[in-house]
Amino acid sequence: MRFLLLLLPLTLFANLNIAVSYPYIGALTKSIGGENVETVVLANGNWDPHFIVPKPSLISKVRNADGLIMNGGQLEIGWLPPLVKRAGNPKTNVNAATFLNLSNHIAMIDKPQSLSRSGGDLHPDGNPHFHLDPNNILILANVIKEYLSSIDSKNSQIYEKNYTVFSDMWKKKIELWNNKMLSKKGAKVVQFHNILAYFNKAYGVQNIATIEPLPGIPPSSKHTLETVELIQKEKPCCILHDVYHSTKTAEFISEKTGIKIVLVPHDVGALDSVENLTSLFDYLTSAIK
Amino acid sequence: MKKQLCLSLVASSFLFAQTDIEQLRLEMNKQQLIIEKLQEKLEKLENANREPIKTEKFEAPQSEAFDQSKFMPDISLILDASYVSRSKKDDEVAHLEVPSVVHGLLGSHSDGDVTHSTYNANNGFNLNYAELALSSSVDPYFTMDAIFHLSEHGFEIEEAFVTSTALGHGLRAKGGKFLSNFGYLNEKHHHTWSFSDMPLVYESFLGLHAINEIGAQLQWTAPTSTYLMFGAEVLQGKNEQMFGNNTIGDVEAPVAKGSSAPSLFVAYVKSSIDIDDTTILGGISYANGSSRVDHSQEEVPSAFSGDSSLYGVDLTVKHYFDSYSFLSWQSEWLMRDMDGIEYALDPADISVITATTNLRKKQAGIYTQLEYGINKNWSAALRYDTIYKNDVAEDGVNLNEPDSLNGYSAMAEYKTSEFAKFRLQYNRNEALYNEDGLKQKIDTIIFQTNIAIGAHGAHSF
Repeated sequence: MRFLLLLLPLTLFANLNIAVSYPYIGALTKSIGGENVETVVLANGNWDPHFIVPKPSLISKVRNADGLIMNGGQLEIGWLPPLVKRAGNPKTNVNAATFLNLSNHIAMIDKPQSLSRSGGDLHPDGNPHFHLDPNNILILANVIKEYLSSIDSKNSQIYEKNYTVFSDMWKKKIELWNNKMLSKKGAKVVQFHNILAYFNKAYGVQNIATIEPLPGIPPSSKHTLETVELIQKEKPCCILHDVYHSTKTAEFISEKTGIKIVLVPHDVGALDSVENLTSLFDYLTSAIK
Repeated sequence: MKKQLCLSLVASSFLFAQTDIEQLRLEMNKQQLIIEKLQEKLEKLENANREPIKTEKFEAPQSEAFDQSKFMPDISLILDASYVSRSKKDDEVAHLEVPSVVHGLLGSHSDGDVTHSTYNANNGFNLNYAELALSSSVDPYFTMDAIFHLSEHGFEIEEAFVTSTALGHGLRAKGGKFLSNFGYLNEKHHHTWSFSDMPLVYESFLGLHAINEIGAQLQWTAPTSTYLMFGAEVLQGKNEQMFGNNTIGDVEAPVAKGSSAPSLFVAYVKSSIDIDDTTILGGISYANGSSRVDHSQEEVPSAFSGDSSLYGVDLTVKHYFDSYSFLSWQSEWLMRDMDGIEYALDPADISVITATTNLRKKQAGIYTQLEYGINKNWSAALRYDTIYKNDVAEDGVNLNEPDSLNGYSAMAEYKTSEFAKFRLQYNRNEALYNEDGLKQKIDTIIFQTNIAIGAHGAHSF
């Protein structure tokens, strides 16, 4: 009996079945879509967003979807293309009206001046972790509202209403976070990978170093020693460390310099206590003490 | 009096009028100044609004009028080279065989004017291949992929196929030359394997490229929440070890007549489930085709004519500890049943010396491997290979061929990035026999480098 349930199509239960790459997109889509939309999240929130395992079960999720929303900016380049290819679903093809690439709607920062893999695993269009600026969440919510309204116009009023509720709530939160972060302006931090670029830019926090010598290249002893020296000189407040890289090198640096390591979530579900978008930013804005 | 009054009125009105006009003029000047100022302001505002759009509009065009470079397909080049140290000399190894299965498994050998060599064929340095891969969408309905193997022996089209993207209903059709999706490993390219050589059972039964054919494929993913995929392939049927449909020998007086083409049919079903962070993928595959296996150009010329079936069962269990570290257990079982006539040929004129009335080969083997991905840089793996069943019956009489044909491998791999891989592998091969029917034990150490540039390859599970 349970096996039979497993075989039932997912689409039986909701009006629209939207597959999304990352949990934060799922949370946003749920807020705007409400009961009309079933969201299927492909990636785990506690994993490196660059390296998601293209499990065969994900092929079925894409195959059964009425649409696909992705982050874009080449964040999914290593795992999503084979899933889309194998799913055989015209609704999730890149040029379909039901396919949404969020990065097309955001002005991305840190676009590399010159593009060569000798500079590490660079993203040609800039840093793709734009969802960590709460102001961008507002833009993305609007983009998702427009998207849902365009593919499901009969419910567009519901999406409009849900968007208004969400954006009113979110604007209040932004004010709260702005106040909270006011005193942190100019604070210096160190990261493993520059995943907080947009968050830092929004609040005037300065990232002075990354533990990885170049994007996507694991730590080297030479670079680690340079980072130790830099920390001793610049005295940053803390290492804001993502949850998916090993903290081994950070611990070594901390031992040498006394710098604090703070684990920070990059997405919904990265840490157990981060269950939604609000708690994600509540957590991030409390990270620098 | 009346006249005077009139005149004075007129004059005064003129006077008044003049002062009025004067005033008006002043007013107008003032107004004009205000308007000008406002206009200035407006223009400024308008410009302020317009400026970014203007610059965007007039930003130098991205490409020249007839430039098509933006339509360039994704290109990547993968180089695979190795250094090999084997306990036997190359000449010696090339003459060894897996009895009644394959002749010359390791090393390179000549077949007429074509030189075949397996990966890591020679002692010393080997350039296994430079693989050029091109990929792009064709139009809203198709994508095209081509993979060319460039080696010292020549240019080889490994794959060149068109895939549908718009069929819907979970259907996907493929046509051209491609690696069959039979089993698990068959479809995978060499650079994604966990070892630098092919499992014994695969290479012995199907040769270096496994089932790599010209034909058509249709796959259907079921609309279930559990992954369930069915696939069928119609293929030309030209495999150096198992399948073929060409006439063998002289057309006028053939050793064995050819069969109609296409002559190879493949079908499979695959399914997968996840239990937390563990993924289990399994499949059952079947291939059936005519066998015109032509070894007439080899040092001991022979030929086989008949029909063959190949059965496969594969199981992969992969557990992820985090984003980079995993434990993966991958196994495949292959069984083949070849039924036909075997010819011993005269090297001088390819005429039949002897022919069996019937030769039936029932052979089966397994490979099973365990890989531990330690982190982003390091991984290590062990593999056990065996052909445990080698029942060959000539006219109903069992030839009692040896059936405990084993291999053992271990490897450690270091990646500087996703694009550069260095691997040290040790192989112990106990499956090969020399011309006197004596079992040989061969130790091989392989240092392999695999380097990729260009488009970022994304691999399926």
